[in-house]
Amino acid sequence: MPIRLENVTKTYRRGDEVVTALNQATFELNNGEMVAMVGPSGCGKSTCLNLASGVDLPDQGEIFFNGTNLSQATESELVNHRRFGVGVVFQAFHLLPHLTVEENVALPQAIAGRRDAAWVTELVKRVGLSHRAGHYPSELSGGEQQRTAVARALSLRPSLIVADEPTGNLDSHSGQRVLELLNQLRREQGGALLLATHDEKIAAGADRVVRLRDGCIEAIEPQ
Amino acid sequence: MILQAFFLRPVRRRPVRFLLTALGVAIGAASVTATVLACQAAVRSMEEDVKELAGRARLEITRPGDLDELLLGQLRGFARDAVFAPVIDERVFVPALDDLVRLFGLDLLSDDLVRGLELNQDNSFDQEQFLQLLRGEGVLLPAPLAEKLGLRAGASIELSLRSERLSVPVVGVFSPPRRSSAWDRVVIADIAYAQELFGRAGRIDRIELMPRNGVSLAALKAKLRETLPNEIRIEQPDDRAEQTNRMVSALRFNLTALSGISLLVGGVLVATTLYTSVVQRRYWIAMLRSLGASKAQLAFAVLTEAAAIGVIGGLLGSLGGYAGAQAALASVRATMSVLVRDAPYSEIAWQPWLLLLGVGLGAFTSVAASFGPLVEAWKTPPLQELNTERPAYKTAAYHRKPLMIAALLVIVTVLLSLAPPIDDLPYAALGASLAILAALIVLMGPLLDVCAAASHRLRRGPFASAMHLAFAGLAAGRNRASWAAGAIGVSVALAVGMSIMVTSFRQTVIDWTEQGLRSDIWIRSVSSQTGLPSGRLSPQALAIVNGLYLPGQVDAFHMGDAYIDGERIILAAGEFAVVKNRGGVPFRDGRDSKEVFAETLETHGAIINEALARKFGLAEGDSVNLQTRGGFIERRIVGVYYDYSSHEGSLIIDRNDYLELHPDDGPQGIALFLPQDADLKAERERLRKAFSGRWMVEIFLNRELKQEILHIFERTFAITAALQAIASLVAAIAVVTVLFALVNERKQDLSLLRALGAARWQTAKVVLWKAGILGAIGGAGGLAAGAVIGVILVKVVNLQSFRWSLQLIWPVSDLVMLYAGVVLACALAGAIPAWVVAKRNLDSVIRDDG
Repeated sequence: MPIRLENVTKTYRRGDEVVTALNQATFELNNGEMVAMVGPSGCGKSTCLNLASGVDLPDQGEIFFNGTNLSQATESELVNHRRFGVGVVFQAFHLLPHLTVEENVALPQAIAGRRDAAWVTELVKRVGLSHRAGHYPSELSGGEQQRTAVARALSLRPSLIVADEPTGNLDSHSGQRVLELLNQLRREQGGALLLATHDEKIAAGADRVVRLRDGCIEAIEPQ
Repeated sequence: MILQAFFLRPVRRRPVRFLLTALGVAIGAASVTATVLACQAAVRSMEEDVKELAGRARLEITRPGDLDELLLGQLRGFARDAVFAPVIDERVFVPALDDLVRLFGLDLLSDDLVRGLELNQDNSFDQEQFLQLLRGEGVLLPAPLAEKLGLRAGASIELSLRSERLSVPVVGVFSPPRRSSAWDRVVIADIAYAQELFGRAGRIDRIELMPRNGVSLAALKAKLRETLPNEIRIEQPDDRAEQTNRMVSALRFNLTALSGISLLVGGVLVATTLYTSVVQRRYWIAMLRSLGASKAQLAFAVLTEAAAIGVIGGLLGSLGGYAGAQAALASVRATMSVLVRDAPYSEIAWQPWLLLLGVGLGAFTSVAASFGPLVEAWKTPPLQELNTERPAYKTAAYHRKPLMIAALLVIVTVLLSLAPPIDDLPYAALGASLAILAALIVLMGPLLDVCAAASHRLRRGPFASAMHLAFAGLAAGRNRASWAAGAIGVSVALAVGMSIMVTSFRQTVIDWTEQGLRSDIWIRSVSSQTGLPSGRLSPQALAIVNGLYLPGQVDAFHMGDAYIDGERIILAAGEFAVVKNRGGVPFRDGRDSKEVFAETLETHGAIINEALARKFGLAEGDSVNLQTRGGFIERRIVGVYYDYSSHEGSLIIDRNDYLELHPDDGPQGIALFLPQDADLKAERERLRKAFSGRWMVEIFLNRELKQEILHIFERTFAITAALQAIASLVAAIAVVTVLFALVNERKQDLSLLRALGAARWQTAKVVLWKAGILGAIGGAGGLAAGAVIGVILVKVVNLQSFRWSLQLIWPVSDLVMLYAGVVLACALAGAIPAWVVAKRNLDSVIRDDG
């Protein structure tokens, strides 16, 4: 089981107001499983993903990743989690504009100091961008940029992929293509996928759907 | 609304960046204001010294050396046309002040008509005191000096006249007649008493004339010209002031130009900040354009920000400049004293125009620097086209255009450095230096591109990732990064240029002193605050030395003045019979100095310094006509020697020749050439004993004199070093400002690195690399441009300003240290934004991303 959230609560301050982004959330994600988080804007989807990817810590509750309690992890353990445990795909792609496609894909390896040029080449090929490997993000279409981001997320073969509205900035055809690619590649790697989306069609393709409203889990629906 | 969206709100959100940029401008403006003010104060005091002390006199009668007072008798026929005022004008050293003051010997019975000195203004001066003055029983002190020294009527003032200590009674204290400070350090004595004090019976320095009412100045001058012999000069006091002004004009020009570099670096800082502002707000500019904002509206917003930075920076700069001028004044005075032999004491006064100067400089620099960012804003397409815009760095013109502009600027540099001076000032050479600095700034972008491309090949090694990411980040903000590197480059270029110039100058002076200073012991009068000797030695001092040593061991060096084609020069003399055996200064044609001195002595010729040769186009073998105290003479030039002690023209003849033309007023210094086995320290003790008591002399061994010359040299360049440090400070502010801007601009990228697993220290390392790269690239460009500026300073500016030809010395180890220091300093400057990045919470950044 790559990740399990137990009674996790997360609050933020917005001016004088305290906003509860996530309230007593409990769910888990098994190996190879795809879970979609669905709900309106501000329901806590992104907070959930940030907690899972180790960029944020809960105020209450615990998060276990492959047996490690992330809520009590040190900074260096969190860094290791972000580095090797999880791959992230953002809605806005977030590629470094002055690195080529190939360099963007190799970026997590460079950060971790683990070079695997053959795997980078293979990933670029698998996402269908071999002919664009030396291009910069500004020279790519939105779909191509997101495919690059998918390849980057898999660069260090993580056991968990976290994707925040990965098709939100794409047309339906490109979005479909990116999602298929993401699913196919993570299945080959045996990784789990935690995905946030507004799109019920995309959610329908998941193994389970977690429905959120106002920071609370309304339902966890098996498909 | 546009102004609020584009300028006011962002400034409120990020006031530190705005204030830092304004501070950069402030320091630049302060540097220029301080230099201008200090130079102006020093020059003004020299001018006031002439004009205020001349009072209502409109003409001066002088002659090289001095005048025989019998000339006054010849002028009796002009009594209806003018009032005549004979003057003895000498400098005396006041030990309690550690400085020189002027001693004016005046005809007190008639002088109040000319100078308006109302000695009894407050009725504190009685008839008896006046008679005491006339009887030569003491002197009058100006009230400010008396107050400073705590003296009043009846006390005595300690003076050193021609190195002789003397206690002179203070007969009274007078209030200076005008508002200027020119009279604050002038001691007044009756002319006969002054003649007695200085051993100049029957002689005066000049006769000042005040035309009577209705008498035309031109007619009076013409009438006097007809009557007086040719060697008598008739000039206006303004001419003397003008001549002094001309002598220091090159120094003023060079110091002001040097201080302007800080302002230039400040301008680069403004350009960097505005570029960053424009690029950070590019999306909003595009949106405003989509909503119909005109170019004029955008220009208004950009120029308002620039003007605000300039005005605030200028205001602060003028205040800082006032404080800086107080600090710089002593150094400027010391430097000017080298050129004019003695620059009078001066003070800095606050003047309202300083505010205008500071604000004007700041606003002009800032608005001029906003041109590039403004074009960048104008080039931003409307929102609809922003996403489909082709990245600029993909276009050929992006790389080719700067190279072409830089090539053009290099050609301009070469052409300007070959151009002659304008009005004896190196304007073209300054233009050449600015052109090469502009080329440096233009080339920073392509240099950054080349280095970024090279970094692609360095994918292995422990630093490869951080370095590569740093290059990628800098390339993403290439324009701002290249301006920041430009700011560093300009500052480094200045430091390198100055380092080459100072090293070349220093080494040239060292070689010159090694070759030229061959005496074992040197005796001179005690030195004043400016580091220069306080005047001549008394002839009695020479007599003391002559009593202790053999004639072949003593070289008394005299200095007076003479004229060539109406231009004043220094006429000096040495014992050629002595120096021909030991040699001395290096000669331009490489001949052995002993040979030249022997020929000069034998042929009754002269040697001249390089400045004189260049000024009048004279060379070895030419003959020169001089107007001297003893009349017109002609001398053949036997040799042209290198001289770095003054940029005035000097002509040296044998002492016996000199004393036939001039009375023996005492030498400027005495050199002793002793046998090789002489115990020099013991000889110095012997001299000290001989001079103990009433004498105030300095006795140097050869090595000490060389050190003293180097000490004066270092002090002369102290202000240069200060200006250089100021420019470096502005560059450091530029680095910090730009790094913060780049960090904020690439905030998402840095957050992304963290999200992908980079530790805090790894993102901090990327920022440190960026800072180091900016330093390395800016430093490299600065080294290259600085080398060119160094050559221009050594080979063009010095020659055109001071007529000195210097060896070109490359201070390689200094430059390597400087480069390493710059990279290290930039990396340290980067530590602040790196620390901020490391402390930043990742979650907030992710949320910002939406």
